[in-house]
Amino acid sequence: MIFAGFPLSTLLTIGGIAGGLVVVFYILKLRRRPVAVPFSRIWQRILRDKEATTLFSQLKRLLSLLLQLLLLALLVLALGDPRLSRSITKGRNIVVLVDASASMKATDVKPSRIAVAKQKLAKMVRGLGGSDRMLIAQMDASLRPLSTMSGDVSNLQAAVEQIHASDTRADLARGLRFALDSLRDLWRPEIIVISDGEVGDPKEIARGLDLGNADLRYVPIGKSGKNVAITRFSVRRYPLDKSRYEVMLEVTNTNDKPVDVELTLLGDGQVVDVTRLHMGPNERLPRFYKDLAGASRTLEATIKLADGQHDDLPADDHAYALMPERRRARVLAVTHGNTYLDAALLLDEYLDVTEIAPSKYPPKENFDVTIFDGVAPPLSTNTGSALYLDPPDGASAPVKPGHSIDMFGFDVWDKKSPVLRWIDMGDIQVAEGHKLEPAREDHVIGASVKGPVLVAGRRNGRRFVELGFDPRQSDFVLRVGWPLFVLNTINSFVEEDTGYLSSYRTGEVWRIPAPSTAEVATLVDPAGHKHRVPVKEGRAVYLGDQAGFYKLIVPGEPPVTSMFAANLSDVSESRIKPVDKLELGGQKATAALGFHAGVRRELWLYLLFGAILLSLVEWVTYHRRVTV
Amino acid sequence: MSVLDVFKRATAPVSRRMGFVRPERAELFDDEFQKKLETLAIVSRRVFAGRLRADRRTKKKGSGVEFADHRDYVPGDDFRYVDWNIYQRFGRLLVRLYEEEEDLSIYFIVDCSTSMGFGDGRKFDQARRLAAALAYVGLANLDRVTIVGVSDEVVARMPTTRGKGRIFKIFQFLRGLSPDGTTNLEDSLKTFVAQHKRRGLAVLISDLYDPAGFEAGINVLRYNKFEPYVLHIIDPKEAHPKLKGDVRIYDCETGEEREITVTQKMLEKMERAWSEYQGEIERFCTTHQVPYFPADVEVSFDELVLRVFRRGGFLR
Repeated sequence: MIFAGFPLSTLLTIGGIAGGLVVVFYILKLRRRPVAVPFSRIWQRILRDKEATTLFSQLKRLLSLLLQLLLLALLVLALGDPRLSRSITKGRNIVVLVDASASMKATDVKPSRIAVAKQKLAKMVRGLGGSDRMLIAQMDASLRPLSTMSGDVSNLQAAVEQIHASDTRADLARGLRFALDSLRDLWRPEIIVISDGEVGDPKEIARGLDLGNADLRYVPIGKSGKNVAITRFSVRRYPLDKSRYEVMLEVTNTNDKPVDVELTLLGDGQVVDVTRLHMGPNERLPRFYKDLAGASRTLEATIKLADGQHDDLPADDHAYALMPERRRARVLAVTHGNTYLDAALLLDEYLDVTEIAPSKYPPKENFDVTIFDGVAPPLSTNTGSALYLDPPDGASAPVKPGHSIDMFGFDVWDKKSPVLRWIDMGDIQVAEGHKLEPAREDHVIGASVKGPVLVAGRRNGRRFVELGFDPRQSDFVLRVGWPLFVLNTINSFVEEDTGYLSSYRTGEVWRIPAPSTAEVATLVDPAGHKHRVPVKEGRAVYLGDQAGFYKLIVPGEPPVTSMFAANLSDVSESRIKPVDKLELGGQKATAALGFHAGVRRELWLYLLFGAILLSLVEWVTYHRRVTV
Repeated sequence: MSVLDVFKRATAPVSRRMGFVRPERAELFDDEFQKKLETLAIVSRRVFAGRLRADRRTKKKGSGVEFADHRDYVPGDDFRYVDWNIYQRFGRLLVRLYEEEEDLSIYFIVDCSTSMGFGDGRKFDQARRLAAALAYVGLANLDRVTIVGVSDEVVARMPTTRGKGRIFKIFQFLRGLSPDGTTNLEDSLKTFVAQHKRRGLAVLISDLYDPAGFEAGINVLRYNKFEPYVLHIIDPKEAHPKLKGDVRIYDCETGEEREITVTQKMLEKMERAWSEYQGEIERFCTTHQVPYFPADVEVSFDELVLRVFRRGGFLR
């Protein structure tokens, strides 16, 4: 016999103290409440018959004390959690990896695969042997241990209740590595995978994996795989007409049979387009919607079977996207007149352009962006960021123009710079201009062999872009890149990102743009739950596992709120046909056995039950005046 | 409460510790009570009209006006009492005997033991009210009234008095009594009879909770030529004690202890035993021709007094 709970010495101490207390209380109980009577002789008449039973009465009291001491002994023993030494050494150590990927949301088994998995796991927990220990972990994009390695059924059952499926794929390789680490040096190690089998390429998973002496068990979940999914969904505004947008999506039929699907596109909750598709077996069908209008913020695509029935996995029947928010930018052009500049600014209807002569600068109104064309007066505080086009030497331009250069082009340029997005600068020829002399912290985004000619940076907290030549002295204004350059620059100043990601993919670490001034932001997931997420280098970092619309709130004065969308977009998770067998590295997973509900080898349970039974007996006998 | 007080309380007798010394009630004989007494006095005259007079007949033969008997003439007898009619008819000289008239002595013996003050002290109050009421009736009829308080001895004694005007003295005396001490009717009544040579009515007002037995006390009165009347003070609540579970009972007078477990069955037995005890008292009194009047504390004292009158025999 081994005490798995308190050691014997502690039990003896507890038993001694508690036993002493019981005896003391018992003696105190024997001192009865004194009550006066007017004439005790009358009571003596009644009690005369009871004299003969005094000895029996004392025996009954002794029995009552013995019962209490026995009760105490049972409770103290239960505290010790006594176990047979034989069973201690032979107990199993089990790590259960529960697949909580998106495919486990499938409803081919009722109510859902994840619910059935939980039921099976709960049954295993109930059938756990007295000396067996189990660790439960949820396996999706990340691995979440939900319990410690424990034989406590209530703890394990609580862990089972916490399991929920996410909109990500399962990472079995990571789960197995975790399980092997947890089972290192433990006896009778066992890994049980409860899954529908869609856990990735078994060969890839088995690479470099050594299960050692751990037994691999597999509990398959699911019975069919009828599913049609939206596997890609993306939207973007047109750079030159941001009121319009185009959508790309992909619908995949994961069945072995053809299917008719009705695809609906919703913009801001209103139906934008409904299309009926006929899809062949295992066909992936991309669809493009060009030149759409009518939605300003949210887009949602949904599919359903044309016959009105539902497939087995509703989670991938929806996809979400969010377009960048549009706001009208106030632009001030300080110029003596520039037709090419005017033409470029006319392309974007969301620009509110004001043109003034250099002598009228600074204006009284506030502006987001100021374009200085051939001039560079001292920058006023109310005119926002600045684009300088060929600033004169000796003026107040942030980057000092150096010596004149002629007949040059762009030999190097930063293709990742938002200012130069979609622009090929290599063909531009410039007749004359100035080499720029940027400061160390400035960013040269375009240069010829003769020196920097396009520089971006920040002065006094305000951003600028400076071009070292007059565009009219080049063929730049005749190219399509010119208006893009102007609009890109304005967009980068007003932080309207035309390269905005319309949606993130679940199961990946998202880096959501956020004001770099904050260190922590609040993320509201599609279910309405709030999460605190760190902000690093202007990006909020979060591992998302739910599809839908999210809201990011960055504290500040005022708080900055932005929205984004997340989608499953995973063909492998949409293939929900269950796998009956799991084989890794040549080792075939066997069925999970040895769980027999109702058989417990934990003696403390029986001791506790005995104590309760004794209490009941004592209670009944007390009230029936048997033990008093 | 000082340490000394705690020590005194701890070392005090159980009955005193448990607070059985009944607080005195100043309103025991209030105006209302006195009005009722007056009413009772009037009612008593009407009920016993013609028979009850200010004077009382005794068994002594003497010079009264009521004819009692004849006896043979012996030399020296007063000729005036020779019944000449008898002599004319039968030729025998017989002398007429008349009952001698004298005022009656009434003794009210009030039990002042602790058991009389048990609980809320209703028994002791009832006993004193009854003593006062009957004493007033006696005083109103020009009897000689004496009141004594007894426990295991004569604890208080009021000198014999007569006349209605002395009722306040009786009130004062009764107010001064308190229920404290054990009951021993035999010893205390032996003292009583030794102190009172003049025989008369002895009205014993008691709950008769005498550990030595109530019979001995009543017999002392009987054997010493007193005419005992028993007014048995009864508190029905004592038949239904509010006890339950494991308790240690002790006698409020003797302190005798006993550990018991009170059950419903035992309470029922207690009720029967209490009733049997009352029955024993009544049987004893009836067997020995001692007038017995149960006086329930739930019944008002004036109703009880009238009941005593109506049963008759209390006043001849």
